[in-house]
Amino acid sequence: MTPTSERIQHLFEACSHQEVQQWTGSITVDDLHAWLRQELGSERALDQFLPHGPLKSKAIAPQCILHIVSGNTPHAAFQSIIRGLIIGSHNIVKIPSAGLDAFTDALRHFPKPLNDLIEIHSALEDEDWLRADVVIAIGSDKTIAAIQQQIRPHQHFIAHGHKVSIAIVYDDFETAARRAARDVSRFNQRGCLSIHAIYIQGDSMRFAELLAAEMEEFSNTNPPDPTSVSEAGAIRNLRETTRFCASNDTSVHLWESKDTLSWTVIHQSDPALQLSCLNRCVFVKPLPPELDSKILGAESAHLSTIAIHPFDEAKATLLENLPAHRICSLGESQKPSLFWHHDGIAPIASLVKWKDLG
Amino acid sequence: MRISQLLSIVITHTSISETIKECIAQASNGKPLHERDFNNLALELFTYQYRENSAYKNFCDAHDKTPESINHWHDIPAVPTDAFKAESFPLTTFPLKDTEKTFLTSGTTTESRGRHHFRSTKLYEQSIISAWRELNLPNVYSSFFLIPPPHQSPQSSLSHMMGVFSDQLADQSTWLIPESGSIDLNSLTNSIKEKQAVVLLGTALSFLHLFDSMKSPIILPEGSWAMETGGYKGTHHQLSKSELHQLFNTNLGLHSDSIINEYSMTELSSQFYSRGLNCAHKGPSWTRIRVIDPITNTDAKPGELGHLVIYDLANVDSVMAIRTQDLAMQSQTRLEHENPSFKLIGRDPSALPRGCSRSSDESLSS
Repeated sequence: MTPTSERIQHLFEACSHQEVQQWTGSITVDDLHAWLRQELGSERALDQFLPHGPLKSKAIAPQCILHIVSGNTPHAAFQSIIRGLIIGSHNIVKIPSAGLDAFTDALRHFPKPLNDLIEIHSALEDEDWLRADVVIAIGSDKTIAAIQQQIRPHQHFIAHGHKVSIAIVYDDFETAARRAARDVSRFNQRGCLSIHAIYIQGDSMRFAELLAAEMEEFSNTNPPDPTSVSEAGAIRNLRETTRFCASNDTSVHLWESKDTLSWTVIHQSDPALQLSCLNRCVFVKPLPPELDSKILGAESAHLSTIAIHPFDEAKATLLENLPAHRICSLGESQKPSLFWHHDGIAPIASLVKWKDLG
Repeated sequence: MRISQLLSIVITHTSISETIKECIAQASNGKPLHERDFNNLALELFTYQYRENSAYKNFCDAHDKTPESINHWHDIPAVPTDAFKAESFPLTTFPLKDTEKTFLTSGTTTESRGRHHFRSTKLYEQSIISAWRELNLPNVYSSFFLIPPPHQSPQSSLSHMMGVFSDQLADQSTWLIPESGSIDLNSLTNSIKEKQAVVLLGTALSFLHLFDSMKSPIILPEGSWAMETGGYKGTHHQLSKSELHQLFNTNLGLHSDSIINEYSMTELSSQFYSRGLNCAHKGPSWTRIRVIDPITNTDAKPGELGHLVIYDLANVDSVMAIRTQDLAMQSQTRLEHENPSFKLIGRDPSALPRGCSRSSDESLSS
């Protein structure tokens, strides 16, 4: 295996290309060293035995990692592969049958030593399953359950199932609306970090109106991807059902892009977290005095991120009892740090095993 | 302006129901409701529902559609089926206290369920029988039902419909699912010993359970047929229509042309039927359909995919125009004397709740 510092240098080169950086964010060599230090105690943990209490220990990377990624966003695929590459494992990436061009195309910017560690498959053979020491799966709960059935006893399975994110706005509606429009619209809401509902302290109807204007603005500069018949049908159904409710209940209100399906904002007073049909459809709700899992309902079990505005550590800490694994600043929900604990899991530490001396 | 408006005739529940009952009766006697009469009656019914169904009126107002502003049934606003789930705003033309029957849509205990309230089920029942006759569907011989009878499942419109079949169409009826819930095959095996044609009716899922419970094939006598309905929502079954028909053939000896599919929903009062594989569903002449391309929100061209919107004159006491989440293709341009028809594709997968990754449930399906 190549020394860790070489892999870090190669990863830095790969992530310096704009085509990669748009998904990974800007990453420096120092960041990658610091990341390993945080996760494994030392950036040399994979290269040599280091003191560990009365022992000496070395981190052992899995020989082969199987990454099964979804087509929702290439983001998660990049994150997963970077984790596998930094520890020097061989990586089999199962992409959706429809492809994941933004990911596979960008791999040409990866230096050869890294590309030699990557295999892309659109279908898996038995042999591929057998080679994997670790299986990482990103997909729906149904997909995760199906994969789980294939896992052998010796394999370590890391599952990233169905997740949903929300936002809370306490003040400064104008800035919040602009940032919320970005967090809702990026990746057309297909990611785990996409905002489905925004809870507002104060005049929630006014915020919804501001958000609608910002959604229109964002849409003008960043038009959504074309929708399929099925996706368009879901938006029409949501809009018509909301129109029915709004026409009978003054607490419900609908804002929608004119003559297009570009964006939809729905104000409703029911605090229960309801899944959006995706493609830039978002619910705005008054923030209840107590926001807990019971009030949010069954979907709260799938919370990934809570984006708040203005970000305030004290306020964020008050939300720590909610099942979300991440509380961040609104506008940043779709750009998690390299250091984040994906679904609460330490992304590198969870991959390695340890060998002890003494 | 329509005749009733010109003559300032107030459309009452009695007048509109009696007119529609008469039209349905005539249709089952070989005099289908033609386009002009359908349009007039649909506009009369819209006028009535707009006036008497306040939740629907508010919805129409939100669309800027009133009885005065439209002249064609195409323009009558269609409510989405999810609107029937809004308990606070019941879609009825009568006070809820006058409800004779409420049918609920299927769903789990945690899901909200749609409610279709009936002041009377007489017109609904007439529609079931008359559609069967108007569409020249086969004789209903000795019948075996694979769903719970109406008294066991009083909130199921399907059980009610099968009860109507049993009471008014079938020569003889046997309900194969007793209180215990398991399928009792003895009566069926005894009956076919007499070599008389029989009819089996149930959901597609109930037929799968039947096939699972059979130790060996039960080849039905010549002339027998089956009617299946519904999909596999909420189950692990994913079977194509041809695979299902193959199972009918293997287990019961029935060929595709002896298998009828019924399509309807709790929110409607009329049914659509297809016979065989890859055939269009046809409805009675007091219904119309549109297939709407949701991207443009206009009519899909014949052969193109869209969402089904149904106009059902038998839905007098709720809403005539229903927007479904079922995918369909419009048949070729309908001639005046032809019944409305469409090619059903099935439930739109996006009708299911979605979140991260639910939209791309294909990681393993390469």
